[in-house]
This record gives sequence, structure tokens and C-alpha cells, in this order.
Amino acid sequence: MQQHPTSNEICPEPRDLGRALCIITGASKGFGWTLAFQLSCLLKPRSVLMLVARTAEQLNRLKEDIINLYGGQNQLDVRCVQADLEKKEGVEKTVQAAKETSVSEMDHILLINNAASLGDVSRFALTFTDPVEVNRYLALNVSGALSVTAGVLQALPRRLGLRRSVVNISSLCALKPFPSWVLYCTGKAARDMMFRVLAAEEPDVRVLSYAPGPLDTDMQLQARRSSGDLQLRRSFSSMFSEGQLLSCEESGAKLMKLLLDNDFQSGSHLDFYEL
Amino acid sequence: MSAVSGLGKALVVITGASKGFGRALALSIAPRLAAGSALILAARSDDKLQELKADLSRGESGLTVRCVAADLGCQAGVERVITEIRDIDPDIDHLLLFNNAASLGDVSRYCHDFTDVDEVNSYLSLNVSSALCLTAGVLRMFPQRTGLTRVIVNVSSLCALQPFPSWVLYCSGKAARDMMFRVLAEEEPDLRVLNYAPGPLDTDMQLQARSSSADDALRNSFSVMHAQGQLLTCDQSINKLIKVLLEDKYPSGAHLDFYDL
Repeated sequence: MQQHPTSNEICPEPRDLGRALCIITGASKGFGWTLAFQLSCLLKPRSVLMLVARTAEQLNRLKEDIINLYGGQNQLDVRCVQADLEKKEGVEKTVQAAKETSVSEMDHILLINNAASLGDVSRFALTFTDPVEVNRYLALNVSGALSVTAGVLQALPRRLGLRRSVVNISSLCALKPFPSWVLYCTGKAARDMMFRVLAAEEPDVRVLSYAPGPLDTDMQLQARRSSGDLQLRRSFSSMFSEGQLLSCEESGAKLMKLLLDNDFQSGSHLDFYEL
Repeated sequence: MSAVSGLGKALVVITGASKGFGRALALSIAPRLAAGSALILAARSDDKLQELKADLSRGESGLTVRCVAADLGCQAGVERVITEIRDIDPDIDHLLLFNNAASLGDVSRYCHDFTDVDEVNSYLSLNVSSALCLTAGVLRMFPQRTGLTRVIVNVSSLCALQPFPSWVLYCSGKAARDMMFRVLAEEEPDLRVLNYAPGPLDTDMQLQARSSSADDALRNSFSVMHAQGQLLTCDQSINKLIKVLLEDKYPSGAHLDFYDL
């Protein structure tokens, strides 16, 4: 079980992200889980924090933990949406939940597209002969992110005084190819471009592709255990054993700062290590 | 056929061969293939493929031309192309796969309009998945061996590198493909992998671009290109592509644009 940040460690700054509807996909563990905590402390009273993931149990536990942290003082409305974003019903359920939120008094809509999968990294590109497998991968990692974003932006349209922010949790893999990681690299490259187009189309939407660095999560575990490329597997293992992996908190904190400063160029790709 | 101007005894597969760039590619490449070569043309329209085959048969003899009517947007379509090459004589010097089949997607709409995952999935299935699966299938059918040069060309675009308003599907798909082929190049050093951006070609796709793009500035700039004769003929672009392939000096996995060459 991950450690909770203490009240002293969070909320060090007086700045905030406004009275917001904040949606986080893939919130049940790893980076999404940490972001839920970090964001909850930056949202003004009567904000709504919407946590989306496939596993209701983990989401409910996360909700409890966040509420316990505040004892209700923050008047944060935490909502859990159990949804599989690989499936059409999951995307629609998520968008519907956003639609049902009363946002007339809000000044910020913040969508964090974090849900993702690694794909089968034990195999190389030449083994991906089955379009069904590749389509499933893209359905979650590319289509799901586009359609959720589209649905949320349509449901909560532009209006004076409303800031709308969309974050794409990206990766170095969006920019650089890695052997045995064809699905993940392809998906991340597609997403980065997708969000660059969005930024070009909607100058009022604040779009950020944030590459969080190598995080100590289940995804990283999968990477170092399963990667088909020997060199890659070794370098992940040594990152782990030499303590070079980042905590989600450390990386999340940089993302929080980016959102608070709000001076990033919309559509840009920013990496933990550049900041 | 000299080594410099020809591709020797080859198996060439071209998707989206019924018109535009794919069709022109078939016509340009056929004369460069030695006797005993095979040219596999895949597209949805059997009629157009047969017409192309008829045009090709006026040229070199000793070239086997096979038409595969297949919708690469679905699994059966990809499989049909793979099946077609199964009984090709493996005694070839050169294998060339041109991943050319593509669609623009609905460029009359913006990102926020793509709320239907089915539509996005369908687009990616044709433009991303099929290119990966077909490439994998073809390469498994003709594995690495001495004396065989295997070339994989991804027909790319400036859109793989630069975002264009109202073109989210096309840009995302092209960005995905470029990365896909870069990973392939990393994994398989014996392959020759090229992401080739052909420039603005005078084709049906370009017509769709200038008549349907929602973004006014983009639509205008396409119209101007057309009106001022700045569009490239397919042949102009193909000549450069073939030159690059024959010189064979490009770094595998590179993105090369017509205007860079």
C-alpha cells in the first residue's frame, strides 16, 4: 500500500487550481492515484474530483482516504466512476458523469488523461500479426483518450471565466523508439500529436503533454520484468536497484507546479527532467 | 537490368494500389523489376486493380501481377494479402513492401467532435494497425537470409511531424506510423525501413483536403497550391523515392520528405 502524503507535505503553497471539476483517468493506482491526492489539496471548496478506473473497490478506497485526509472541511465532492476506457460504454459513462456535474459555478475544468497500458512488451513488432490485438491496444490508449477529451470539452463548452485544461500523460516513448515497445511508443506518439492538434484548434484550451519520467509503479515493474529487449530490461533493472526511479509524488509535484504556474505553451511536450 | 537502375528479382507489395500514389508507384516500379519478379497490388476496388493489371501487362513480360481486393481496415483483408504472397517463389533478391493505403478521415470536423470511439477505432484500424500487421505478416513469410534485401516503406506525411487543425485523425495516424516503423528499424537492423513523406500530391486525397477541411486557412492554402500548380505529380515524387531506394544510403527508420531530397 502506498504511503499517504502527510498534511504537512501537501498544501505548502497558497495557490490553487480554482473551484474545479477535475477528472483523472487511471486513478486507482500508480501515478493517477498520487495525482488524485495532490490535486485534491489544490482544489477550492465545492470542487468535484472525478476518479475513473476499472476497479470500483480501489477507487472507493481512494475516495475514503482523500475524504479522511480532509475530514470534510474542504467540501470536496469525490466521485468514483468505474469505467473501462477500452470500451465504448466506458468512454460514454465517463463523459456522462462529467455532463451530470453542475459546473455553472466552477472556474476550471481539468482533465488528466492518465489511463494507459504498456501492451505486451515481451514481444517484438514482427509478432504483431493480429489486428484485433493492436486495435484493442489503440482503443484504450489512443481512441479512448481522444473521445473522452472530446466528450468532456463538448459537455463543458467554452465560456468566459472558465479555464479548461487537458493533460496528456506522455512519455519519452512518444519521441524515441524503444525495442520491444512498439505498441506503447506508437500509442504515445499518436497521443502527443493528437493533443498538439487540439492545442492548434482550441487556443483557449490549455493542453499539456507531460512526460513524468521513470516512475516506481506497477507499470515500471512490468517493464523491467517483461521487456523483450535484453538491454532495455537491464537498464530498467539497474534504474530500480540504484534507486533512480522517481516517486510518483516527486513527478506529480512538478506537474502540479506546471498547472499552478500555467505558463506552459499549449500543446507542448514537457519532460520531468527538463523542468 | 543493371544493379543501379533495377531492383533485380523482387517481390513488391503495394497497398492502396488502385489509384493515386499507389497506382503510379506500381507503374513506375514494374519496369525496374527483373524477369521472375512478382507485383502484388492490394486495394478495395477489384475493378480498378484489374485495370491497373491490364495497363501493366502492356509493359514488361516475365512479371507476375496479382490483384488482391481487400479492405485492410478489417482482419480478413490483412490476412488475404498475406495469403496471396504465400506461394510466391522465395528465390528473390529483394522484398519491397509499400505501406501506402490510407485515408484522410473526416477533416471537416475538429478534435472535440470525435466523441464516437467506434469512428476513431475504425480509422486507426486501417491507418495504423493494418500497416503493422501486414508488415509483420509479410516479413514472417520472407524471413531474413543472405542475399535477400528487405525494404519496408511507410508512406508518411508532413502531418506525422506537424499538427494541422481539423486533421486530428490523419496527423495522429501518421505520427503513430512513423514511430511504429522507427521501432521496427531499431529492432531489426537488417531491414531497410523508410518513412517517406511524398509532398502534396495531385490526387483524390488532395481534392478531399481542399474541398472538405474545416480549417479555413488550411483549405485556402490547399486551394492556392492547386490553383498555382504547386501540387506535385505522383511521378515527380516517386522518382525521388525510387532514387533514394536504389542509392540505399538512408538511415533505417529515417523520415525523409520530398522537399528534403
